[in-house]
Amino acid sequence: MIHKVLFTAMAAACLSGASAGLQAQEKPVMATVVKISGIPWFDRMHVGVKEFAAATPSVTAFQNGPSNADAAQQLRIVEDLVARKVNTLAVVPMDPAVIEGVLKRAMDRGIVVVTHEADNQKNTNANIEAFDNADYGRALNEKLASCMGKQGKWTSFVGSLGSRTHIQWVDAGAENAKKYAGMTLVDAKNESFDDANRTYEKAKEILRKHPDLRGFQSSAGNDVIGIGRAIEEAGLQGKVCLVGTGLPNPSAKLLESGAISAIGFWDPKYAGIAMNKIAKLLLEKKPLTDGMNLEVKGYEKVSVKKGPGAGVLMVGNAMVIADKSNYKEYLF
Amino acid sequence: MSCANSLSVDGGGEFTFRSRVKKRLDNRPELFTLFLIVALSVFVGSVNRDFLQVSTFFDLARSSTVIGLFALGVFVILAAGGIDLSFTAIAALSMYSVTKLVVSYFPEAPMLLVFLAAASGGALLGLINGLLVHGLKAPSMIVTIGTQYLFRGFLLSFVGTVWVLSLPDKMEAFGKIALFSFVSKQGTHAMLPAFVLILVFASLLTWWILNRTLIGKAIFAIGGSLPIAERLGYNVRAVHIFIFTYTGALAGIAGMIHVCSNRLANPFDLVGSEIDVIAAVVLGGARITGGTGTVPGTLLGVVLVVLINNVLIMAGVPSTWQRVIVGAFILLAGALFLLRRKR
Repeated sequence: MIHKVLFTAMAAACLSGASAGLQAQEKPVMATVVKISGIPWFDRMHVGVKEFAAATPSVTAFQNGPSNADAAQQLRIVEDLVARKVNTLAVVPMDPAVIEGVLKRAMDRGIVVVTHEADNQKNTNANIEAFDNADYGRALNEKLASCMGKQGKWTSFVGSLGSRTHIQWVDAGAENAKKYAGMTLVDAKNESFDDANRTYEKAKEILRKHPDLRGFQSSAGNDVIGIGRAIEEAGLQGKVCLVGTGLPNPSAKLLESGAISAIGFWDPKYAGIAMNKIAKLLLEKKPLTDGMNLEVKGYEKVSVKKGPGAGVLMVGNAMVIADKSNYKEYLF
Repeated sequence: MSCANSLSVDGGGEFTFRSRVKKRLDNRPELFTLFLIVALSVFVGSVNRDFLQVSTFFDLARSSTVIGLFALGVFVILAAGGIDLSFTAIAALSMYSVTKLVVSYFPEAPMLLVFLAAASGGALLGLINGLLVHGLKAPSMIVTIGTQYLFRGFLLSFVGTVWVLSLPDKMEAFGKIALFSFVSKQGTHAMLPAFVLILVFASLLTWWILNRTLIGKAIFAIGGSLPIAERLGYNVRAVHIFIFTYTGALAGIAGMIHVCSNRLANPFDLVGSEIDVIAAVVLGGARITGGTGTVPGTLLGVVLVVLINNVLIMAGVPSTWQRVIVGAFILLAGALFLLRRKR
């Protein structure tokens, strides 16, 4: 009897709780799913999603993600959110092909889908890229050229020869360097496998082969760490320039010592905000127009083109090239 | 007549010379590895004079240290007729956990203690391998594929995924201690790190264990033929536990050297380099089926693999061709080894 009373009371409490929950549910629920939780890159994106949630009290926004770099785990999280029928889904896919099916189901149910770093995703309303890859490669190379005084031998590193974006970056860089007659590209496109130790060994070998080398342009996130260490140990800071993709926190020491001249990246914080702003526009049935301003840093003039599927492909201008003087503004 | 005579004498002389070379190579397959190293060095040196520098030697020694420690462990297991594919995961788990512990709780820890902790952590994980291999009576390849996933999964799920970027001063300084250093004419600094001595010491210890102790005899006996070794009364359980624990300890030390020389602990590092290590051991003359091999041979195999990986840019091989060349070279060297044995 007591049990029954208790049970009824609990059920009532649950019901009232649920109705309170439902009331909260009146607010649209906006979910962001990242590749891996707990790594600095996506912790930084979380900062952006929280900022968006705080600035947009009319919605409930949160970020979620698997603990491992595992496409199957990410799939399960997305499936779960679709089952809960959130209103919008912003996803940074681990492997776009793996989640095509569930994203299609989400869109069929009327959930707004926005993706990032997946310009080949078919089932999405909009995919947003931080910048145009050729623009980025050119910008890195321009920074390198000004560091080298537009003179001397330089070389390039890619994560692997199969990495499409890296190849686009260094190709655009090589094209840019042709403007300067004094710059010579030697032993281009070394593979680093994103392994700082491998990159270190290769950088040393290149420096031995070309004692007059004056510059490196690198692509994968760990490359600047490996090449920077080779430059620092050889005591070549200030004599050899290094410009490449890298994150501010891991690069800080080498930027300070002068072994890294500059790093390029995009800020995942603003990418997180931009994804959710786009999702909110779509939720409110507002149009996405070419050249529109999302009112997010780096996404003030976004190009909008037809994507590979039914949705659109959007490209911002959110690249950041930071050196010793300003990297502290982006510590992540 | 005299002509035929001298011919036969000549032929006979050549025959004895050739058979002597053959006999010597059969007894010491590592001489063949040495030959490949010399041939490759002469080739690269003739293509590019800059190869022949002291700093090249320094860099090769530095690159050989971590892979050399791994190879010694793999060699011991291979000699006993087993194989280990989990040693890189052991190294990664051990180095990352110990680094994290030292950073958070004991940043003043002396290096000896840090290495002791890394070696014990590695030994413990190796012990798990040994107990499983012996207890399950399963092929060590299957067991260690399993434990590789297990150790790595544990590392990334429970210990952490974030790089440790600021090492304690002592660890950072350890990676920079130089045995020799000099400044070249171009103003470039080159140095031979002191941690290569750890490889020298580990090699001597491994040689001593394999050649001067009872357990060494047991390892080769079991690698030669398990049933015979059992009938001879060798303690197979003790050997299984010993070899995997020893390899685990070496892997832990290798992982810690990796951290100190890279000046950061990245939990995603190391796993994936198993193939290079196993190739080095086999190119050093150990048979994949066990029972043979030497420590000097293993070290030469390591030098050969490190050399191949570090001279391609020197030799002017374009990036797109480098993997093809490495694969072809290992295939060629391996095939020559096999052919030589069959004859």
